[in-house]
Amino acid sequence: MSVSSHTNTHSTGVADSGRWSTRRIAVYALFVALAMVTSFVELPIFPAAPYLKYDPSGIVCLIAGFAFGPSAAVIVSVLGFVPHMFGDPWGSIMAIAVALALSVPASLIYKRWRTRKGATAGILVGAVVALAIAIVGNLLITPIYAHMTVAQVAAMIVPILLPFNLLKFAIHGVVTFLIYKPISDLLNRTR
Amino acid sequence: MLHDVRFSYDDGGTWALDGVDLTIGAGERVSVVGANGSGKSTLGRIIAGLAAPDSGTVTLLEQQVFHDGAADANAYRAARHGIGAVFQNPEDQIVTTVTEDDVAFGPENLGVPREHIGDRIATALHRVGMTGFGTSDPTRMSGGQQQRVAIAGMLAMQPRMLVLDEPTAMLDESGRAEIMHVLDELHRRGVTIVHITHAEDEAALADRIIRMDRGHIVSDGASDAVPLNPPYGGQLPSQRGATTQSSSTLHTVSAPSPIITLSHVSFSYAKNTPILADVSLTINPGETVAIMGHNGCGKSTLTRLLCALETPDRGDITVAGIPVARDTGRRSKPLRRRDRKRLRAGIGYVMQHPERQLFAETVAEDVAYGPRNLGLDGSELDERVSQTLKSLGLSHLAERSPFSLSGGQQRMVAIAGILACRPKILVMDEPTSSLDATATQHIHDLIADLKTQGVTVIIVTHDRSEADLADRVITLGDHSVGANHDREDSDDHRPVESKQPRPSFITALDPRMKMVLFLIMMFTAFAIGTPVQLALAAAMVAVILAASRLGPISVLHSVRVLLALFVIMSALNVFFVRTGTPLVRIGSIPITDDGLWTALVYAGRLALVVVLGAIMLGTTTPVRLTDAFGSLLSPLSRLGVHTSEIALTMSLALRFIPTLTQETQDVIDAQSARGGSIESGTPMQRLRALTAIIVPVFAGALRHADNLGLALDARSYEGGSHRTHYRMMHIGGRDIAFAGMVIVYLAALIALAFIS
Repeated sequence: MSVSSHTNTHSTGVADSGRWSTRRIAVYALFVALAMVTSFVELPIFPAAPYLKYDPSGIVCLIAGFAFGPSAAVIVSVLGFVPHMFGDPWGSIMAIAVALALSVPASLIYKRWRTRKGATAGILVGAVVALAIAIVGNLLITPIYAHMTVAQVAAMIVPILLPFNLLKFAIHGVVTFLIYKPISDLLNRTR
Repeated sequence: MLHDVRFSYDDGGTWALDGVDLTIGAGERVSVVGANGSGKSTLGRIIAGLAAPDSGTVTLLEQQVFHDGAADANAYRAARHGIGAVFQNPEDQIVTTVTEDDVAFGPENLGVPREHIGDRIATALHRVGMTGFGTSDPTRMSGGQQQRVAIAGMLAMQPRMLVLDEPTAMLDESGRAEIMHVLDELHRRGVTIVHITHAEDEAALADRIIRMDRGHIVSDGASDAVPLNPPYGGQLPSQRGATTQSSSTLHTVSAPSPIITLSHVSFSYAKNTPILADVSLTINPGETVAIMGHNGCGKSTLTRLLCALETPDRGDITVAGIPVARDTGRRSKPLRRRDRKRLRAGIGYVMQHPERQLFAETVAEDVAYGPRNLGLDGSELDERVSQTLKSLGLSHLAERSPFSLSGGQQRMVAIAGILACRPKILVMDEPTSSLDATATQHIHDLIADLKTQGVTVIIVTHDRSEADLADRVITLGDHSVGANHDREDSDDHRPVESKQPRPSFITALDPRMKMVLFLIMMFTAFAIGTPVQLALAAAMVAVILAASRLGPISVLHSVRVLLALFVIMSALNVFFVRTGTPLVRIGSIPITDDGLWTALVYAGRLALVVVLGAIMLGTTTPVRLTDAFGSLLSPLSRLGVHTSEIALTMSLALRFIPTLTQETQDVIDAQSARGGSIESGTPMQRLRALTAIIVPVFAGALRHADNLGLALDARSYEGGSHRTHYRMMHIGGRDIAFAGMVIVYLAALIALAFIS
């Protein structure tokens, strides 16, 4: 189901002369736009730390990776957060790292095993890697934003950072799982 | 021009085109008509060189592009350079947010030398009557203007033939008129025109009409019928405020108490641009009412007010006994949550293109969404769903995926999802737009059915004959001129002020240089640790702000939310820092001078970062930003990274953000009108509500992607290095001066770190 396989029977051969087909550019562009839009959504999901906000952009990265392969996951994860560079430079670097950690392993695994099990395993592995990156990132970046030592941030891991991120990736995973079937119907229809 | 075109086209066993023979001569003006699914769009794509058939021979502009089951890519490329294609959805054909750059995109792809592109843009915009709009943002124009820009984008490539696939389907009457005038003009200039349409009056303007049915050409002949009415451009009667006229012979005055009352309602999205002004009207139970008027006269807004999706500025609204809005003298008060729920149960809202809200795996599940939100479950829910589907004749589709249905079927399923809630009032916004005759008839039958069931129906429409179904027509007049309308009419002869202010120092910087230097300053701002360094950085930012000539107030205003957040966050530091001299004690917590300074430094440096970001964005258009981004990435292309494609992806993504944001908002509104809410309910209900929003948003994104892919093909985008660039970037003296200033600043910052 990768985009490059779109060279179907009705291709004129022109669209594929570029290094990326026009359809591939169009699909990536819309997914990047979707990631940008959703990354500005902020839902407080964790009452203990209302300043930690949930944004659904990770779902877009996961779906992009599942539908169009790891390279799409990379493009969407990186470009999707570029607009945040001019508001929150360090935070956006961390958000890119977390999105990559989630979607790239997940799409690599799903590429190998194209089943529901493969998708589940992919999401789980991605979530573990992303969790690790999120916590390391917080240890490095939080002291830049607030006057706290690394040790003070480390003290927050178990009561706040760990449960928040677990909840976040759980929502990502469950929603991705729920919506992937209708979305793959759509993808199959548009080809 | 086009010789002996014959092809069939396989689509999983069914043939969209089956043995079609067609020759179109140079300079002809041809219309292709037929029902949805007759193969006319497929034919259009083949003629435009955007798709190849399965078999047959295709010759386009003297190039034999398809022969013996094989496509000749080089011949296709050559032919396509001479063919322009315009599609139904104007928005999806726009590639960027500046009209000039958008029109330049095609010539750039063709490798037209930079110095000629300007002329081509000017000529193309002139031909479509859009001179003076070169620097405007096409994504904010009316549909008719967008479609004219799309045509200009094609004309700039100097095509010999233009293929238009239902270019007016999404436009209102004045938009249609604009496009038809442009086609008349182009035809006069000798451009071959192939116009696919299902409007007979438009087709009649061609020299020759080709009728399609189920993949065959059923008739092909000279246009004989002279259109009865003026085919387009008929102006609607417009009067001040809302006027009503009865289209039925007799309308009893002594009606029962009205189900909907609006009195003196005014509404505006932005100051000084009223959409509705002092509108009063009543609608009685069981009435079928049509609302008409120009684009932007506030028809859709009126329906949104009824459904409590917007709150009016002034005036009272009562729907089914529920006070939707009360005028309190200053502003109308919105609805309470409990009333909102009651209202949602009583009023059904069919938005424009309701099929865009479909999300579930099966039709039955999608239809069940609304009733389930109203609290139905088990056999009661199943019963309700099957009854609703049956009454609309959709039972056989219950287990299909909604995404596998035809456009007309999808529309009916989406309406079923709303009728399943058994509303007493049904509001439909353009229920038959872009449907063919058969599907339109289904909707019209449904409206008649609802009337016999005593449902109050409100239809917003552009279509006279559709309005005739109603007992009464309410025409919203020009008084309440909307933003769209304003642009559409008054801009035609008003050139944009040619005297642009000289760009400020910061605006005129090379965007690449600016981007790099700003990012360096933003990242290094986090190293600021002392009040003295903060003062230096603040001085630097103040100088840059002054040199940018952006109003300081407006910059601060644009980042006010973030600023407030930083103040609160860093205020916490006051309580945690224990070193230094205690100043006061709050309870047992000492407030020290070190604590205050720390709070100031942390809040200050974050504030400087966001202000720098705001200046960067305020002085650089998205086009320049993505140009700079692409140019900065270009060294990576040596490593095999597709940098120019990434830059184009980025620029297209930015251009689609407003569109997707608006669509997401529409989906959220539509699903909440069906009772779904992420903010309340059990975790499972919330997840379901989230799914019901996310799936349609993805569906919309993929739909745009399909159209956009075609539009990029139509503009001959092929990537690679032979592209030319209309805009050049070069680093000049002021860039070097600015870089020097930043280096001095950074050195001073580092020096201060060592001194203290």
